[in-house]
Amino acid sequence: MRPVLRLALLQARRDRGTLAAWILSIAGLGYAAATAVTTQFGEDHERAALISVAAASPAFLFLRGLPDGISLGAVTFFQGYSFTAVLAGLMSAFLVVRHTRKDEDQGRFELVGATQVTRVMPLYATLLLGTCANVVLALAVAAGFIGAGLPVQGSFLAGAGVGAVGLFFMAATALVAQVMPSARSANGTAAALVGGAYLIRGAGDALGTADPSLLHVTAAWPSLFSPIGWGQRIRPFTESDALPLVVIGAVAVILAAGAVMLRDSRDLGSSYIAANESGAERAGAGLASMLGLAWRLQRGSLAGWCFTSGALGAVAGGLGPVVRDALEGNPSVAELMSRIVPGDAGLVDLFTTAMLGIAGVLAAAAGIEAVLRLRAEEAEGRAELLLSVPASRFRWLGSTLAVAAITTTAVAVAAGASAAVVLTLAQAGGSNPGIVFAAALAHIPAALVFPALTVLVIALAPRWSSAAGWGALASALVLGQFGELLGLPVWLQDLSPFRHSSAMPVEAFNPEGALLMAAIAVVSAAAASRLIRERDVPA
Amino acid sequence: MHPDSSPVISTTRLGKNFGHTAALAGLDLSVLPGEVHGFLGPNGAGKSTTLRILLGLIRPTSGTARVFGIDPWAEPVRAHRDVAYVPGDVTLWPNLTGGEVIDLLTGLRGGADEDLRRRLIDEFDFDPRKKARTYSKGNRQKAALIAAFSRPARLYLLDEPSSGLDPVMDAVFRHQVRRVAADGATVLLSSHILAEVEQLCDRVTIIRSGAAVESGTLAELRHLTRTRFRITSSAKPQVLSTWRGIHNLRVDGTSIEFDADAADLGDVLDALATAGVTGITAAPPSLEELFMRHYGVQNTGRADHRSLDSQNSQAL
Repeated sequence: MRPVLRLALLQARRDRGTLAAWILSIAGLGYAAATAVTTQFGEDHERAALISVAAASPAFLFLRGLPDGISLGAVTFFQGYSFTAVLAGLMSAFLVVRHTRKDEDQGRFELVGATQVTRVMPLYATLLLGTCANVVLALAVAAGFIGAGLPVQGSFLAGAGVGAVGLFFMAATALVAQVMPSARSANGTAAALVGGAYLIRGAGDALGTADPSLLHVTAAWPSLFSPIGWGQRIRPFTESDALPLVVIGAVAVILAAGAVMLRDSRDLGSSYIAANESGAERAGAGLASMLGLAWRLQRGSLAGWCFTSGALGAVAGGLGPVVRDALEGNPSVAELMSRIVPGDAGLVDLFTTAMLGIAGVLAAAAGIEAVLRLRAEEAEGRAELLLSVPASRFRWLGSTLAVAAITTTAVAVAAGASAAVVLTLAQAGGSNPGIVFAAALAHIPAALVFPALTVLVIALAPRWSSAAGWGALASALVLGQFGELLGLPVWLQDLSPFRHSSAMPVEAFNPEGALLMAAIAVVSAAAASRLIRERDVPA
Repeated sequence: MHPDSSPVISTTRLGKNFGHTAALAGLDLSVLPGEVHGFLGPNGAGKSTTLRILLGLIRPTSGTARVFGIDPWAEPVRAHRDVAYVPGDVTLWPNLTGGEVIDLLTGLRGGADEDLRRRLIDEFDFDPRKKARTYSKGNRQKAALIAAFSRPARLYLLDEPSSGLDPVMDAVFRHQVRRVAADGATVLLSSHILAEVEQLCDRVTIIRSGAAVESGTLAELRHLTRTRFRITSSAKPQVLSTWRGIHNLRVDGTSIEFDADAADLGDVLDALATAGVTGITAAPPSLEELFMRHYGVQNTGRADHRSLDSQNSQAL
């Protein structure tokens, strides 16, 4: 057992900054949400109004979760749980890949494996570290809630619900890391699982049935297939049911045991989904330029992102009729909604708008991922080889930037096209397909700001580019989703590029916002192309 | 053959600091057209830093660097036009095959000589259908070497290129260097493998702690050092030790070994003639000894310390 402890300490040492940042951010978000609810919605009737609007709107249910009464704790849990759980899942997934498949990719495992440890000990160490991190996270979230004045027992249960989802994805990712052939693919798969858990829960909640008071919603069956859906069933501030915790924990233990078994029975460096060992002997005509290389490196990723956003668009379109029927079956909801959103197809449009907003985030994320490849090329030494040929750095950076812009655009197009087509087929009403498609495209300028800013950081301070790119997206998300709830000043909320996107079809298209965002993206990219010439290519 | 004899590479008082550590401290390097120039030094002496400056990847802190008379930092594209480069630590794109990598790199330089490409793949016994992630260090190096050699260049910058190759492949590599040199190309070969430099290079620059400590043809450098004598003689060691220019005297019965300074060689030979010698071998100084004199026992303390410093700076 001693080697496991030593390895876990080594991994903790490598992670101390990263994990501390993750835990503090997640607990901070929880604290902020609780404070916002207690200060902005201090009165019962204010919370009742908020909850009944939410319960009546599938878009709200999809994004946030299940309304469960109007106590301060319950409203906080409704507002914040899904997001904090997603963040806990991502924290755990990246933690596990960092210390398993990535170490294996980079040959560090071989060094450790030559000492007096068994094949599985490094994995045990990672699971130990992940468990500790999630326990600390659960306590930190609970402390945040208690600090904001929520009931103690409910706060601990809510924190445990966040930590449990983290534990689940720690175990699931341990399994993914055995199966996938590279750190990159393992990270992508694990992040997709976390995103999938959020979306499945969202579908279950959107399809849920509201009780007549419009203060409670019971999720439909799909959310049973999501650990976040199970976590919601704890209902920490009302029913205080610990059974879901046991269920999530048990599944996590089974997944972790599976990961250990797979690790024990495979060779170092091998994977259950084998990567292609061989390929073409000659490069195609396209691979003789920087642009050709950038496209070749990105095309697989591009397909993955487009598939995800296409699926999201299909969900948006497919749930349209359900949303409409919910409205027709419940006159009190219809009456409430008609007051909030004027117009007939308001509810369907509201839902579509919310879903396409997520597509905009996906498009931004895809763009960030695409430009961060420049950093990887540089850090792993391939840029040195590439920049020794008679081609300028401008061409090197410009090619990747062009491919990133194509990626961002394609992700938005895929979401818009599939939403428009499925909505038409489902005959859900709402805006016409052309408008729905345009609504997806309206997010492109704001989404492009993220890869452009990331590439600017690559040109200025390459070491910080990954943290800056993903940090900017996370900040924009928090500002967008919680900015109003937290009562943040308008100028601060306006820092999020998504605030300048038009939320079509609910809002009209806002050309100034789109032009401003496009201008910022172009200026950042141009500055980066200029500045990349001014610095050393790090060894 | 080379009417224009202005240097292909010239650096003057080249300096490069990484933070507070100096990786290069006033390096003067001159590589003439058509020569194979050895660039010799221990790990962390600044060899790779120099090559990276010559490629315009990093900017010198002080001094100047010129490749074909062009400042590579200001005009990298023009400076690279006739350059082929093999880095010391080759990393490739994991999902491209070796063949695709070769085509990509030669394509960016204007296209490979197909015949040469085929021959090189054959001679290096390289499988171009495998994905780069499956290649060992040696195979990755082969891919970079094939890419460099399968399109003629006027200047080859090779950074410890044979460090991952087995002896057979090393011979193939040396053959290629001789081939391009015969075609009139200039080669700068950084290495810490002395035998390689001794076999391939016309001139050598020895670098330590970021500055050149010795530069010249092998013959010139040998003048600076000592010849090793092994003699069988009944002469008394006490007598030998009074001779001028004798070092490292070792006596084992009648077999005696010592080193003699180049300047005193004539006197030593005269003295040997009357010393009752019954057997003699005299070996020219190997590069090994040349090298050891700059990094070896005599100078340890300070030299080791400083090269460690620059090693740290390389890690940055």
